[in-house]
Amino acid sequence: MALVAALGRAALALFREAGGISLLGIYVALCLLRGRIDWAELRRNLYKMGVISVPIVVLTAFFTGGIMVIQSGIFVRRFGAYGLLGWGAGYAVFREVGPILIGLMFSGRVGANNTAELGTMTVTEQIDGLRALAIDPLPYLIVPRVVAMMIAMFCLLIIGDAIAIGGGMIMSNLLLDVEFSTFYVSFADNVKLWDLWVGLIKGVFFGLCIALTSCHFGTSVRGGAAGVGRAVNDAVVAAALLIMVSDNLLTMVLR
Amino acid sequence: MQLLEVRKLHFNPAVPPVLDGVSLRIEPGQTVGLCGPGASGKSLLLKILCGLVRPEGGRVEIDGLDLCTCSSAALRAVQSRIGMLFQNNALFDSMTVADNVSFPLRQRAIQQGIRLDEAYVRQLVHERLRAVGLADHADKLPSQLSGGQRKRVALARAVMTRPELIIYDEPTAGLDPVTTARIYDLLRRERDETGATVIIVSSDVEALMSFAPRMVMLYRGCLRYDGPTDAMANSPDPVVRQFVRGELEGPL
Amino acid sequence: MRWAWLMMAGVARRLLRVVALTLRGALRARREPGELQRQLYQVGNRSLLFVMVTLGFIGMVLVFQTCLQINRVTGDLSQVGAEFAKILVHEFGPSLTAMMLATRVGAGIAAEVGSMIVTEQVDALRMCGVEPVEYLIVPRFLASLVMTLVLSIVGTVVALGMGGLTAYSSFHVPPSVFFDLSRVRLGDVATGIIKCLAYGAAIPIISGFCGLEARGGSEGVGWATTRAVVSSSFAVIVLDFLISGVAFFTLQASG
Repeated sequence: MALVAALGRAALALFREAGGISLLGIYVALCLLRGRIDWAELRRNLYKMGVISVPIVVLTAFFTGGIMVIQSGIFVRRFGAYGLLGWGAGYAVFREVGPILIGLMFSGRVGANNTAELGTMTVTEQIDGLRALAIDPLPYLIVPRVVAMMIAMFCLLIIGDAIAIGGGMIMSNLLLDVEFSTFYVSFADNVKLWDLWVGLIKGVFFGLCIALTSCHFGTSVRGGAAGVGRAVNDAVVAAALLIMVSDNLLTMVLR
Repeated sequence: MQLLEVRKLHFNPAVPPVLDGVSLRIEPGQTVGLCGPGASGKSLLLKILCGLVRPEGGRVEIDGLDLCTCSSAALRAVQSRIGMLFQNNALFDSMTVADNVSFPLRQRAIQQGIRLDEAYVRQLVHERLRAVGLADHADKLPSQLSGGQRKRVALARAVMTRPELIIYDEPTAGLDPVTTARIYDLLRRERDETGATVIIVSSDVEALMSFAPRMVMLYRGCLRYDGPTDAMANSPDPVVRQFVRGELEGPL
Repeated sequence: MRWAWLMMAGVARRLLRVVALTLRGALRARREPGELQRQLYQVGNRSLLFVMVTLGFIGMVLVFQTCLQINRVTGDLSQVGAEFAKILVHEFGPSLTAMMLATRVGAGIAAEVGSMIVTEQVDALRMCGVEPVEYLIVPRFLASLVMTLVLSIVGTVVALGMGGLTAYSSFHVPPSVFFDLSRVRLGDVATGIIKCLAYGAAIPIISGFCGLEARGGSEGVGWATTRAVVSSSFAVIVLDFLISGVAFFTLQASG
């Protein structure tokens, strides 16, 4: 009985949050369609989110490239297929590993930060204050953040992909003695522009997922400092779940 | 507790310093009221006194042991002889009221390697909770209590191990007058029962002056007054006089 | 510049102190009764579903992408299962589970410890003669050490199962061909276990440290949680890179 009750509670909580996130998505879309967005806020958020996440994205991408080369190195050594290295690393980074890992890091850096910020505004009643000043918090606070996160993910992913391929090239030269030219030819001949686009489309989608979850959990905070911590925790978990699920769906659609 | 002595305490040598050359000497069994306008370094001084914050210069001695240079084990031993009531209660919100109150006792037993008799602990907790009028709330969580009730739980926890030095940081902040009177009544009874040394900070200067026979006033990180409570209102220092009398005109 | 160096040195010193106290506390016998079980439950049970869902989706995507590529080149899908099982055991199983735990568990620890800091509960602990690192971080450290290993095994099994399902439903690879553990060597299992232990140790220490460094009200807790997610995820990536690199060179002879 207790198990059933616990399952029911979990399911109800899940549906409540999922409903809240979807509703927020619809509101944001409506605002965007009507062109209701605070442009100054958008510029400020873009700058802030882009700049604060560049270092972590660069580092993540570099190590990701290295890890991919080491992992493909096992196969490459066994089959002597050095010509496949650039292709394997490029394909994996562009399509899957890049968007997922950079998405997770972006969620931790920008998404969690956004939840903390909005959560603090909520518990200190600043959002009610905005309403009292007759400022609709949606186009002013939420819509710019959502748009900024989607654009930031797109740009960061381009940087990240480039760094990851560069890092992979350096690592394969250092660890596997593969010439830069061998790596580059294998990469350039086999990886298509479409592979890059698949990753970028995924990245923009992940940006949307991160933005909606972080804004939803940030604005529904209850209960002081502990509440803000819990909200950040819930937001990153929900964002990670949504990233994995939507990655699966997008992979099926974008072949 | 033999003696508490603070000499030439400095904290944060930026301008203006948060604490600048504060020296104090508190004899055992004394009750000292600490007052001063907001942001004058009162809470920080308390945290330095009990070893939670390390000052950048000066000494804090309890029983001749310098808290700033002693080992962390010795510091912990001293700290477990101090009871502290925090400004925001600092109740452990994952524990019930009874667990909160018994926590210092259990931790001290673990430290000294003693096995506690469970029935004895339960009886003692019940006794203490009854003393603060919360015997029926032992199994509740702190989040289910009102502000005044939480303060009383924190008080029960602070004095659970019969500490030799008790520090109260704003014991009545944000409470209504009746609850305030009740809290001071509890503090008085506790002091008379144990004869512990008490340091108390409050922005309610009137209540503080009726409770503590000796007053210390901090102003901008410096000691402005240290002496008997009766002489404070007639102090030659205009800052102290204005603060105690609550006048609008003056140097403050 | 000098100021930045001093700050970094301070952070490093405090982090080392937390590491030393945690290790010392973990080796000592005296422990809070029941606290370890509670933390095992917190870390393990509450992350179980999250790890299963995310790793399940990852397994599906990885197999899908791999089969798609192989179909383009050779069309021989008989080795996919065996290679997938191998790479899952020594790389994706532990590392992706740990990435998920870094968000789930890391953020949880930082939020909890951080809100205890800003509400002075940690000071209250110290006034009871308790060392906060020993009381708060050591049980979480031990629980995370055990649970990262357990959850990685669960995650690996789920990912393998979902991968097999995808291979069967989308590419008609029969399960009897797909589920083939013959390529998994002892070295792969050892690498996987070492990775699990390293991640399991790093996540609670780093996020606990971020929680202990929290300052200020609810905003401080939010910041601490954000930093915990980013730092522990990044630690997972760096550790993955290092351990993979070492394993690659020490195990390359055995294939």
